[in-house]
Amino acid sequence: MRLSSLLTSTARWGRAGFALGALALLSGCDYNFWRMDGHQSTITVAGPVARSQLEVFYVTCWVTLVIFILVGGVLAYATLKFRAKNEAEEKAVPPEQGHGNPLIELGLIGASVLALVIIAIPTLKGIWYTYDVPEDRKADTYEITATGYQWWFKFEYPSEQIAGTGALTTGNELVIPAGRPVRINIRTIDVIHSFWVPKLAGKVDMMPNRANFLWLQADEPGYFWGQCAEYCGDSHAVMRFRVIALSPKDFADWVAQQTSPARNVTPKPGEETPKAQFASLRTFKQNETGITDKYEIAPLEAWKAKQFPEKGENAALIAQGKALFASKTCASCHEVRGHGAAGISGPNLTHIGARSMLAAGLIENNAEQLRRWIRDPGSVKPGNKMAKGYLDNNIKLTNEEEVALVAYLQSLK
Amino acid sequence: MEAILKSDLHAKDTHAPAKSAIFWRPTAQTGLISWLTTVDHKKIGFLYGVFALFFFLVGGFEALLIRLQLMYPNGTVLTAQQYNTMFTMHGTTMIFLAVMPLSAAFFNFIMPLQIGARDVAFPRLNAFSLWTFVAGAIVINLGWFMHDGAPDGGWVGYAPLTSKTFAPDHSIDMWVMGLQLLGVASIAASLNFIVTIINLRAPGMTMMRLPVFTWMTLITAFLIVLSFPFITIALVELMMDRLFGTSFFEVSNGGMPILWQHLFWVFGHPEVYILILPAMGIVSEILPTFSRKPLFGYPIVVFSGASIGFLGFSVWSHHMFTTGMGTMATAAFSLATMAIAVPTGVKIFNWIGTLWGGHISMRTPMMFALGFVWMFMIGGFSGVMHSAAPADAQQQDSYFVIAHFHYVLIGGSLFALLAGIHYWFPLMFGRKVSEFWGKLSFWVIFAGFNITFFPMHFLGLNGMPRRTFTYDANLGWNAANYIATIGALILGVGIFIYFAVMVYTFLKGEKVGKDVWDARTLEWSLPNPPPEYNYRVIPTVHARDAYWYNKQHKEEIAQEEAEHAKAEAAHGGIHMPHQSIYPFVASLGLFIASIGIAVIDHDPSPGFWGKKIGLSMIGGVVMLAGIYFWALEGNEGYHLHPDDEGHAPADKKAAQH
Repeated sequence: MRLSSLLTSTARWGRAGFALGALALLSGCDYNFWRMDGHQSTITVAGPVARSQLEVFYVTCWVTLVIFILVGGVLAYATLKFRAKNEAEEKAVPPEQGHGNPLIELGLIGASVLALVIIAIPTLKGIWYTYDVPEDRKADTYEITATGYQWWFKFEYPSEQIAGTGALTTGNELVIPAGRPVRINIRTIDVIHSFWVPKLAGKVDMMPNRANFLWLQADEPGYFWGQCAEYCGDSHAVMRFRVIALSPKDFADWVAQQTSPARNVTPKPGEETPKAQFASLRTFKQNETGITDKYEIAPLEAWKAKQFPEKGENAALIAQGKALFASKTCASCHEVRGHGAAGISGPNLTHIGARSMLAAGLIENNAEQLRRWIRDPGSVKPGNKMAKGYLDNNIKLTNEEEVALVAYLQSLK
Repeated sequence: MEAILKSDLHAKDTHAPAKSAIFWRPTAQTGLISWLTTVDHKKIGFLYGVFALFFFLVGGFEALLIRLQLMYPNGTVLTAQQYNTMFTMHGTTMIFLAVMPLSAAFFNFIMPLQIGARDVAFPRLNAFSLWTFVAGAIVINLGWFMHDGAPDGGWVGYAPLTSKTFAPDHSIDMWVMGLQLLGVASIAASLNFIVTIINLRAPGMTMMRLPVFTWMTLITAFLIVLSFPFITIALVELMMDRLFGTSFFEVSNGGMPILWQHLFWVFGHPEVYILILPAMGIVSEILPTFSRKPLFGYPIVVFSGASIGFLGFSVWSHHMFTTGMGTMATAAFSLATMAIAVPTGVKIFNWIGTLWGGHISMRTPMMFALGFVWMFMIGGFSGVMHSAAPADAQQQDSYFVIAHFHYVLIGGSLFALLAGIHYWFPLMFGRKVSEFWGKLSFWVIFAGFNITFFPMHFLGLNGMPRRTFTYDANLGWNAANYIATIGALILGVGIFIYFAVMVYTFLKGEKVGKDVWDARTLEWSLPNPPPEYNYRVIPTVHARDAYWYNKQHKEEIAQEEAEHAKAEAAHGGIHMPHQSIYPFVASLGLFIASIGIAVIDHDPSPGFWGKKIGLSMIGGVVMLAGIYFWALEGNEGYHLHPDDEGHAPADKKAAQH
């Protein structure tokens, strides 16, 4: 542990004490946590599966709340009523040494069983409903396979076959059609992970040697937060993903774009030499957040904007980046379909430029963050395989090479 | 310690000389040797307590680091790897090295006194359990001082994350071998307690007159004996995978990681009741004492404890609702889990029934016991929420679960254990904690605990997964995490006050006479601290709440005791077992062998495995030597003849037993 950071925290405690009272009472949207409407809320849900799970939760909540008030009330009453007020009362003749009352016991046992039956009925209904897509909607179901890797997610679309390469494959951003049931096959390549998009459905574990699945549905187009929910090693906390639900037409457009090969940007004659400024990258703090406000306010719009080529692309720089992608051995782990890169152990990068996030939902996909990521992946995501790959292959990137790679990757729309 | 040692002074110069040089019987009454060789259940219980409290503070420190890391989003107090180590060790430490041994401390110290016995059935086995526990605790924690680091596979150690592929260093090996040793210690201790409770009860102490704490000790001991073999098997399989390349959990060779989860939770769920049943027993002693009434519905409290024990074996898969078990298994485990709420609820009703119509004295132990009832209710209700599998699909592995089991384990187990320390402190040490400081520590702990863990319910429902070293600021988790950390610091202050007051009382507290609470069970009939032989005359039990009955029938009981004393004196006095070093030697052997298996590298040079095998063999030889000498030295003892004041000259020559 770093002592300096402990000291920093210590200095914060003083302020912390003052802030606490205000914090609990005043409400900025961030502070009143009891609203529970965050991006990963299980309360403000957006689909039928999560809604059904929420309804069961509410039943358990109300039943136990009523019991708590009744039993707690009696307990509080007994404690206050029979409390010895002074020493004389403590020492008074002991009360009647009664050993209990079977009728009261039986009555209370019966009441407890009844309360549990009230919970059991919706529970059983919920277990069957949330397990698989209802029969009458099976025909309309869209199927996707999600595979967990340490520490990212691969998504395959078996119904979108590409000649010569197989199913359409993406990483870390699951795009689904809104308003349709989606059945997701849950797989893992290494350890146990868990697939969890709280607003759409409860989690199902990605178990080795086990063909798990779940179903979910987004009622409306939207942008949803997901996260691995089973401890899976060093970077478990930053193994995240996003789900983007699109209207049927948008979804069809997206599939059309994704199934086409990687975009080519060819420099015009005479523009072969890159003319970019190779500024050095600022230093980032440990665990520094990589998300901007623009993205935070309207993530779906930010995502949609990423589908179009960036302004002011530098074709020469992109061409240089494309060459580096091969020479720096990126291509041995990553696939860029149509550009000769066919690695499979890392995420498919054919359309990386069109994703809103990088490093498994951890940092925003912009030039600065992308460069931060490829410069030192290990500091962004502890223990990850790309950092290890750099070490194993003794890969070092100059400022110029970083900028070229960034330009190339950003051009892959 | 002083108080316990004093009890020995009564029997000064009374120990028989050793029989021979080979089977040397230590007679030291003070100093290190006396502690290493003791077979007195009270001293062993005291040592269990000291080690448990030490590890409790270690686990608490780990918890504070965890909370500091999460105080702000994107915290930098710990690295990811350090954080993962912290939560792994926090869980392992608190469960196996703090709460279980603290319960064991009470089993050892209190249970034999409650049934009117002079020791446990196998005093040397009891010492062996203690030292094996200490060995296991050391092995688990060795990693802190080594290059490999402490274990970081989570306290549940799910395969295949703990396999050689994903955890190549020795930290998991140390975790495996440490837990194996703790299993040996727990099973040996439990067999001892079972035999003691079945066989060494005083005349008239029928099963349905046993104090509830002793009942819960018995049920817990059975749970340990029946559930630990499952984790033993799982750990052996994991060790085989890691050391010898077998494929129990190795996916590429067709192994099944789900097998680990089943084995782990078939142990792990009864383990939950191993942690909570002793607590329920303690509370079932304290509430009647301070209400000055018998426990309401004694038979139902006992039977509900037993049925919790039985049902506890049928609900393990509710820890696995999200592993894709299918609808039928999920439904079955869901309903079984709900069923277990009934006997648990029954206990709460009976505790309230005990208060009803009583004369409640609000002393510190009572405060903690009532705090237990309230907090355990909340933890129980969130448990019912988990039992509804569809709701659990959202709650599983989120902070909602963290909130739930800390309400059960801190608000439940720990509050009751803290209550028990206050309650029996006067009996153990003859001193009483100041009411003011005791109550102050209660309120600070109570407030800190709730400020820490209540917001975690909201965090969980708001989608924060557990075991995450960092989180982004945009998820609505900042305030709750911040408040939880402040609460944890308050809780830390409360615990500090509690233990500072304990230490002060131990050294300088107010001295009190016998039976300070006007209590109901036999242990309070003893002078404090109890002499090494416990009962000068084995009591005869005439009723449930035996001592309360005795206090109502003083003359008859005095007459009866005088007769029994005469009979016992004619019989040769009080038989006491000799001290022995060999249980410690056997444990030491286990410790050395574990180090060999867990820590030493495979030697790749031609002398293949030399060091590893060698050290393991040495350990095995030491252990076997310990066991053989233990068997051959015999179970001799000596006799004490205490007078009416408890002073006890002994026979000069060793009794042949």
